[in-house]
Amino acid sequence: MFLSSKATTPVTRTRRLSMAVAAGALLGVTVLSGCSVANSTEASSSGGSGAPAAGGTLRVVLQQEPPTLEACESNLTSTGVVVRSTITEPLIERNPTTGELEPKLATEWTSSDDTNWTLKLREGVKFHDGSDFTAEDAAATIDRAVNGKLGCNVEGYVFGDDDLKVKAVDATTLTVTAPKADPILPLRLSFLEVVPAETSATEKVREPIGTGPYKLDKWDAGQSINASAFADYWGEAPAFDKANYQWRSEGSVRAAMITSGEADIATGLSPEDNIGDLGVSYPNNETVALRMHADKAPFTDIKVRQAVNYAIDKEAIVASLYGGRDKVAAQLVPEGVVGHSEELAAWPYDPEKAKALVEEAKAAGVDTSAQISLIVRTAQFPKIEELGQVIQEQLSQAGLNVKLKMLETSQHLTYQVRPFPTDDEGAIMLMTQHGNQAGDAAFTVDQYMTSKGAQSAFGTPELDKLIATADAATGDDRQGAFEKVFSYQNENVVQFAHIAHQTGMLGIAGTVAYTPNSSSGDELRLAEVTAK
Amino acid sequence: MLTYLRKRIISSALPLVVVVVGVFALARMTGNPASLYLPLNATDAMRADFIAKNGLDQPVLVQMADYFGGLLRLDFGTSLRTGEDAAAMALRAFPATLQLAATTMVIAIILAIIVGSAAALKPNGLLDRLASFVSMAAASIPDFWLAIVGIWVFAIYLGWLPTSGVMGAAAWVLPVATLLMRPFGALVQVIRGAMVTSLSEPYIKLARSKGASEYRVVTAHALRNAAAPALTVAGDLTVGLVNGAVVVETIFGWPGIGKLMIDSILQRDFAVLQACVLITAIAIFILNILIDLGYALLDPRVRPTAGARGKRKARTITSTTEPTTPSEPTVPAVTGANA
Repeated sequence: MFLSSKATTPVTRTRRLSMAVAAGALLGVTVLSGCSVANSTEASSSGGSGAPAAGGTLRVVLQQEPPTLEACESNLTSTGVVVRSTITEPLIERNPTTGELEPKLATEWTSSDDTNWTLKLREGVKFHDGSDFTAEDAAATIDRAVNGKLGCNVEGYVFGDDDLKVKAVDATTLTVTAPKADPILPLRLSFLEVVPAETSATEKVREPIGTGPYKLDKWDAGQSINASAFADYWGEAPAFDKANYQWRSEGSVRAAMITSGEADIATGLSPEDNIGDLGVSYPNNETVALRMHADKAPFTDIKVRQAVNYAIDKEAIVASLYGGRDKVAAQLVPEGVVGHSEELAAWPYDPEKAKALVEEAKAAGVDTSAQISLIVRTAQFPKIEELGQVIQEQLSQAGLNVKLKMLETSQHLTYQVRPFPTDDEGAIMLMTQHGNQAGDAAFTVDQYMTSKGAQSAFGTPELDKLIATADAATGDDRQGAFEKVFSYQNENVVQFAHIAHQTGMLGIAGTVAYTPNSSSGDELRLAEVTAK
Repeated sequence: MLTYLRKRIISSALPLVVVVVGVFALARMTGNPASLYLPLNATDAMRADFIAKNGLDQPVLVQMADYFGGLLRLDFGTSLRTGEDAAAMALRAFPATLQLAATTMVIAIILAIIVGSAAALKPNGLLDRLASFVSMAAASIPDFWLAIVGIWVFAIYLGWLPTSGVMGAAAWVLPVATLLMRPFGALVQVIRGAMVTSLSEPYIKLARSKGASEYRVVTAHALRNAAAPALTVAGDLTVGLVNGAVVVETIFGWPGIGKLMIDSILQRDFAVLQACVLITAIAIFILNILIDLGYALLDPRVRPTAGARGKRKARTITSTTEPTTPSEPTVPAVTGANA
């Protein structure tokens, strides 16, 4: 373009040079900035559009990159979905369909008093580094995650403040002692992914060594995680030789990767993502509810809290916003969780009764025109904004003054967990999405319903007592005791207005077979995926 | 020339410091990250541990002094989210953004020169009107919409390109095409305008009357004079791309700094956010200097006349037309991002 055959003056030469410098600067950036993007060809064998055959690569696309694969953080959804029972394994595993505990690295467990537990461990298990799995490793895993100072997520969520005493009796026998009777200790242990005793007890480890069917090959930060079948796996070899995880935050892009043959499994989809027949929905154990803080009018009066329950048309919400897949909820835990009550009926939609209750409260001197802030987290689940608007409208019809506040995660959390903000305008009503993946109501009610629960705005001494009783109960008693807790909350406390038990959706390519279950969103066991 | 450069460096460095300090202070006003990183039912002791461990219990000024002290030792801090070195994370992501921006700009400039010059040859002709319409449309289509439509048409319906990712040359097409539209549209209009003016100048008539070919008139004479304003606009657009590729990076899973920055904001990952901002600001600072230099080299009116004729001492700028490049690095807006 700048070629000229004659009359080249010094000036034009300079100009040519300068244009070249300018263009070169831009091109140079491309060249000099190296090959950080282009160097990822190693994974390109898995990025093509060919269908996987057994023995090939299983390609999974997630919503987000795991922040870490540290085993003790595996109850974070984005970590657990890659790690749990794929790279690392627990001692005991909960069957998400039956709710039963099943042997994994422990073959049996017993206790005579619910306090001292003895576990027999599987022989012939190897870690990915070639070392043998022994009781020492199991003990170190528990010590590290529960008793240490690592600040593991699993510690607060599953074990609370309590430390456990652990002892490796011999190579295949482990004893665990709880500070007080804990009938669900084996269930709690199912949240611990086993790592070698040599794993640092002072630092979290981004890339764990496990005993799982797949071992981690390479984590290309920002791009993909590659794993391959572990040749010395103690159990049945998985159907695929390699696994490749990528992540895309747009649901429609994840869906497109399935329909275009770029991925075999996509997590976190909704029907709006154009996934068509390749979308498989499953109950994901998440429940949506409104939590009312009773410290300010009008929620100080139970009648207003009851009115909120009557005012919301849950059937219509499920039918019109969620295509009829979700289920109207009467309590915080869905079917399949110990303590879920089949008997408990959802509050009927009765706008007239709601209005009448608000009027009654007004007559009794409650300021029913006081503002209520409905706090909703942006993009927490599909159509959440529309849901907030519908609820705002329906509560307004009942005579309440609701202001919708959409907040991002970090801001929302300040409302979700104690200590709650106190300087907000008006009464607080928080939209919450609670998932109980542990399968026992204790993990719900301790947090959400006790007087001082981390996510509970208020409770009563009677309810606290009922919860304490339920927590210590076993067998059928346990089921009945938690049922009582849920019905007591609905009749006497009414901290919550339950909306629906949700469903999740996976995209599954026609070339692979996988049946999602209630824990697939948190724990996608790749060994369960086969080629068609 | 050196004086000019020195002056530009000083005037551009100040905003750099202001941005880093501002981001540091603003980030800390958005709230305590403890609730994001600890289990929801973490005990008070766990919270206190976390806050103390990360120095968040100190006054902001003390934290800032620590931070700048760390910078002197090239210690940018550690990511709360991943536990990695914050600078390593930012430096790993930055080339991906630069590569995308540079490729986009090179293609945009070439295409815009061709289309803009062709349109300017016959002002108000059919080609000119068509170019005007296309460039206006290109400059105003939202990235998000274009990206999704591009995926739908080229990846799903036609199956020609991958939907997203960074594997292979084909993966570049959709992100680059999406990013290309705005700079292409803007540059066509600038080049066309400058070319129309250039082509009506007396020296063009002179060149034509001397029998120069039309191709040579356009390339060797008119385009050269239209290049300076185009370069300035292209520089601005590149700056915009470097810090504004967030949407495209997010949709296409491009591991760039825009996406990292947004993730860090949402996750209150202060150290990574600061590292991203600092690196982007430095890059924009360097880019601005390069643009100024390029402009000075291209336009003799802006060029210093330092002792060329041995009469005057080095002067900075003889022209009254100060370059209009922006000297303030900007931080991308975060509205509309999802948790």
